[in-house]
Amino acid sequence: MSGVAETGQKPPYTGLKAIELAEDVGGEFLGRMLAEMGAEVTKVEPPQGSPTRAIGPFVQGQEGPDASLNFWYYNTDKRSLVVAPEATAARLADLLADADVLIVSLQPARQAALGLDLNAIAAANPKLIVVSMTPYGLTGPWKDYAPSNLTAIAGGGPLMMCGYDDHAIPPVNPGGDQAYHTSAAFGHIAVLAALLDRQQTGLGQVIDLSMHSANALNTELGNPYWFYNGVNVQRQTCRHAQPVMTQPAMFQCADGSYVYYTLILADQHSWKILVGWMDEMGMAAMLTEPEFSDVVHRQQHMGEIQELVECFFLIQDGHEAYLEGQKRGLPIGIVNAPEELLEDEHLRERAFFVPVDTGTVAGTVLFPGDSYRFSAFSAVPKQRAPRLGEHGGT
Amino acid sequence: MNTMSSKAAERAAAYEAAAADPARRPRPSHGPLTGIRVADFCWMGVGACATRILADLGAEVIRIEDRNRLDMPRRLPINKTAGARAYGDEDPDPDPNAGGLFNNYNRNKLGITINMRDPRGQELCRRLISVSSVVTENFAPGVMERWNLTYDRVRELTPEPIMARMSGYGHSGPHADFKSYGPVVQAVSGLSYISGLPGREPSGWGLSYMDNMAAFYNGAALLMAIYHRNNTGKGTEIDVSAVEAGIGLLGPIMLDVTANGRKTRGTAYPLGNRIEHPHAAPHGVYPARGEDRWVAIAVFDDAQWQGLVAELGHLDWAADPRFAAQDARHANQDALDALVGAATAQRDRHDLMHRLQARGVPASAVQTSEDVVDHDPQIAQAGLFVELDHPVIGPAKFEGMPMQFSRTKVDYWRSAPLLGEDNRYVMTEVLGLSDDEYEHYVAEGVL
Repeated sequence: MSGVAETGQKPPYTGLKAIELAEDVGGEFLGRMLAEMGAEVTKVEPPQGSPTRAIGPFVQGQEGPDASLNFWYYNTDKRSLVVAPEATAARLADLLADADVLIVSLQPARQAALGLDLNAIAAANPKLIVVSMTPYGLTGPWKDYAPSNLTAIAGGGPLMMCGYDDHAIPPVNPGGDQAYHTSAAFGHIAVLAALLDRQQTGLGQVIDLSMHSANALNTELGNPYWFYNGVNVQRQTCRHAQPVMTQPAMFQCADGSYVYYTLILADQHSWKILVGWMDEMGMAAMLTEPEFSDVVHRQQHMGEIQELVECFFLIQDGHEAYLEGQKRGLPIGIVNAPEELLEDEHLRERAFFVPVDTGTVAGTVLFPGDSYRFSAFSAVPKQRAPRLGEHGGT
Repeated sequence: MNTMSSKAAERAAAYEAAAADPARRPRPSHGPLTGIRVADFCWMGVGACATRILADLGAEVIRIEDRNRLDMPRRLPINKTAGARAYGDEDPDPDPNAGGLFNNYNRNKLGITINMRDPRGQELCRRLISVSSVVTENFAPGVMERWNLTYDRVRELTPEPIMARMSGYGHSGPHADFKSYGPVVQAVSGLSYISGLPGREPSGWGLSYMDNMAAFYNGAALLMAIYHRNNTGKGTEIDVSAVEAGIGLLGPIMLDVTANGRKTRGTAYPLGNRIEHPHAAPHGVYPARGEDRWVAIAVFDDAQWQGLVAELGHLDWAADPRFAAQDARHANQDALDALVGAATAQRDRHDLMHRLQARGVPASAVQTSEDVVDHDPQIAQAGLFVELDHPVIGPAKFEGMPMQFSRTKVDYWRSAPLLGEDNRYVMTEVLGLSDDEYEHYVAEGVL
């Protein structure tokens, strides 16, 4: 499948209107997800702009609300409408009359300060889907707690699983605003559930999504290990947190880069591939001896095997080792830096990065493309984030 | 032999108990996906986690399994008797019905077994697809092609189908055949690299974040496709590359590279728990009382800073010119972090979290799964974890949905299927086989 739809069908949210009241990148990311699949998403902002416009990095030394790459990233394909805070509730009443979705990521106190009553809004607009996407949800003892990405990923559980083998070093935040991204991913599922419900019933509803809850569901093995084994997992350098410490899975290469490869001694198939590869490069040493075809023997000599594999990768270029290992059928990954993604032959062939005319000194800039591809339709061609008030002011 | 047969007898008894339990019988669903039947070839984490979303919303998801190639989550030693074991430390003959991870991923689904090496098994699969409208899979590239179950073939079997293909690299391009799982995807997409302390190897992720996130994206893509088909009558094939989804989660650093020409390799990047933008400081994870206990604190403005110094009893810090403003604090984080860490080290992480939050400071205990599942009042009031009984495992907790709907009902009606638990129901009531045909297929090893 090429990923480029030539069916003439429009993306699924075509014709839907969404209003976004978001001051964090989580709510904005959800709005973007709707916009890129065809919804007309209007971001309602105060005169000074969304606080996310004040967060860097900024484009090429520029400043101001239209130069934030942080804002650019999360707000493509949207419209910007400036509304004074005191006028928000009244203006919303008009905007929501023909809207399908309202995204609100303001906490309860901020909602109250703006005079927003989500249940009243829903009652006045029976077909409207109101999605509240807040740090801790709309109810409960922590609902008014101050948020951040770091504290959210800490409270939900994923942070305790990430860091280094050396536990004198604190758990280390995985890069990017992943706590907000996790919330946005669930926000999209929630909106879709409500849209499907509305197709059946004709009725909208109110959704109360908690970023804290969303992150508590993003531990993969962490929760099941506690549910079933009754044990907590321990963080380990760039590999799965587990109840016990395991062998390193990241190997440094001659050029300073790293490859990720998990040596699973019990897996006879990949063992043979690896030893064959090492042997061809004259690095297999005693691993070609017959006793090493026995898994028990391998397990008894884990330390020596690990050292040989470390040496094997240390003499190779990381990218070449990645391609060669994959060619031989091993699940091995190169640890790419962001700038290296632009050179990746596979991503180029799939035309993953897409040019966006930013209308700024930076001219046309590459953005990451669609996260899902459909044979029946495509996302809308990506348009730059709106300038503050580009689509109207008070 | 005695142990083996008693084990076999025990396993057989579980099936009898399950068959006799009316609460485990397939029943009409409600929810927005009522009437949608899914022929679900997914396995492992990504696929099962994605189709769990469909099952929770009322779709009839029929998991197709292979007795001779057990789904990994059935085998892993994540179960009630394994104790503190690494997941790679498998039992030689695990009870496929005791697997906790499988239970976690496959609630609300039906489960059947089909032998795809037998042409009659493949024919049964085609029959199942012909009465389904959604097909899902996350096999290594080439498996569905080998069974001749490509989208074009599926379209011949059922009108306007939706077929989701979940893979690491997507189904086109020179690396389409590459093998991957979560940690490989995280490495290749850049997510591992952007995580760690400057000057050290990446710390990356201690979980298959991209198994989960790709599952959530695939779930959304399936729901979008169903929504689209409800509107237009048109089906679609879906191609989600986990690597591409992962790149889309890097955030603004990617634009710093493409718009500003930034190079991250060989520089002081990433910054561990500190952030470049905005100039929040202190912004870190600090020691608390107890072994390996930590509290995360993030100060974004002067008011939060005043709250922090007051709570830590160090109003003197506020008078220090190094810490007089956010930019100064950000520039002097080495000194600041040392002071904050010394002041938190003897504090209880939850008590400090609540006291800081009372002063308006973003703070959180760094919680374990034990904390979150058993002791977190915010999670408890949201009813996030639900309990369901299972014929072999007994009662267990499950990860629910992180949102509350005012209308849509999410129905957690059954724990995961035993291996082949729903064979008879699906073969006779869904596919219309006679009881004799069904028994014949069982005897011949087709099921």
